[in-house]
Amino acid sequence: MKIRTMKLLIKEGAQNVIKNKLMSFASIMTVVATLFFLGIVLLLAVNISSNIEAMKRDLEITVFLNVNATNYQREEVVSFLESKKDAGIISEYRYESKEQMYQNIKESLNDDSLLEGFTVDNAAESFYIKLVDPNSSDEIITELSRFSGVNKDNGIGYGKDELDKLEGILKVFNYIIMAILAVLMIISVFLISNTIRLTVFARRRQIEIMKYVGALDSFIRWPFIVEGLLIGLIGAVLSFFITSQVYKWLQGFINGILVNLKMATLRIMEFGPVAFRIFMIYSIFGMVIGGIGSLLSVRKHLNV
Amino acid sequence: MIRFVDATKIYSNGVIGVKNITVNIEKGEFVFIIGPSGSGKSTFLKLIMHEEVPTEGEVYVNGYSVHDMAHSEIPYLRRSLGVVFQDFRLLPNKTAYENVAFAMQIVEATSREIRRQVPLALGLVGLSKKAKAYPDQLSGGEQQRVVLARALVNNPAVLIADEPTGNLDPKTSIEIMNLLEEINQRGTTVVVATHEKSIVDSMKKRVITLEHGEIISDVKKGSYSNEN
Repeated sequence: MKIRTMKLLIKEGAQNVIKNKLMSFASIMTVVATLFFLGIVLLLAVNISSNIEAMKRDLEITVFLNVNATNYQREEVVSFLESKKDAGIISEYRYESKEQMYQNIKESLNDDSLLEGFTVDNAAESFYIKLVDPNSSDEIITELSRFSGVNKDNGIGYGKDELDKLEGILKVFNYIIMAILAVLMIISVFLISNTIRLTVFARRRQIEIMKYVGALDSFIRWPFIVEGLLIGLIGAVLSFFITSQVYKWLQGFINGILVNLKMATLRIMEFGPVAFRIFMIYSIFGMVIGGIGSLLSVRKHLNV
Repeated sequence: MIRFVDATKIYSNGVIGVKNITVNIEKGEFVFIIGPSGSGKSTFLKLIMHEEVPTEGEVYVNGYSVHDMAHSEIPYLRRSLGVVFQDFRLLPNKTAYENVAFAMQIVEATSREIRRQVPLALGLVGLSKKAKAYPDQLSGGEQQRVVLARALVNNPAVLIADEPTGNLDPKTSIEIMNLLEEINQRGTTVVVATHEKSIVDSMKKRVITLEHGEIISDVKKGSYSNEN
């Protein structure tokens, strides 16, 4: 096909979008709604995984020493941690003495009568360890448990297993959402193909005339495809705008609640960093939906 | 140019379109196809432009075997034909100029060719002044002239007209027929299906008469009256 013919067909398709305002509007709204749902689900998934990652990074291994651990036993642990830090496995660790632990407990209880019988001597020294890679936790935990100074009964705590379980559940949840989205996509392809079918039907006489004058199928088909692609693209841009506004509002709203609930580790991500990716996904999906929709609807009218 | 060899068209509902037609139309001829309604005139033309395919027999048009043709070949057959319909069939959202230009855009003519040929074609049919009018702003006769211009603009070897004057008054009908004759004199083969007795009689052209789908007469310089 020659370039001037392509230009002509693209122009024709663009004019169709404008001439069939009502149909175009209906199709564009279908795209907007589909992509909006897609976007919200995507953003939800991104937020969940980013929060889980953040929680993993914040996760600490807690190691309590025996109440009667000696200085030597403590230094053994310290030098082990230092060597792991030098090896780049531990990002940081923090030590709490018996006194600090006693103070912490005292402060958190707020009522001295509960502390009765609990003295500084009953408190244990502890370490709080952050890992560079949360996945190396098992190894570190096994090695730590070999030290004689470390409390063998519940002396080592780490929440990763629980997080992994949560992540597993969320993964299943993700798959379900993907399936729902796939169905949604198919539905919107049919909705759009139906709307465009109406415009094709309105123009079937025109198509017939074009065929009698000797137009190739591609010559008839392309303006409709261009129309579908344009509808998809316009829908994508609109939907992107709506999504970004709704998301930003939700972000402020939910983050406010999280702060009030003192759950500041959990937070809704900024829109900016994912904006481009979302825009690309919207454009591609919008044009695919629109293009396939119009292809489906024009196909059967070509056999004249 | 156009050759039917024992061609039969029976529609899926059992209606006979044409039956055992064998006919030869040479280059440069002007032929009337006449007969009462349902005699097979339209089917005859539809077979030429591959709107229908013969159920039996062979149809050759401009070197294409219409009875045995790939779907992808059809546009090229139609480009070798200029077609005029009783109900005009202009694109309603395009001006007269654009309608004629459209036939050239389809064959991927350059815009320079289009700018040169379209005014020539509109001039030939006497519609230069109405180039910018839309079909609904034109009279029936004017619309049919646009159709003629569209049919001519690519210099087809054959021009087919199905009741071209069916929706026109007698005076305009004569004008359109005169145009068809003019086109014929430039070397284009013209095939016209009609039941306008007076026109057929006055023009003294070859007349093929159909009845019940069969050719009952084929007369050079014939008329409606000498059909038997």
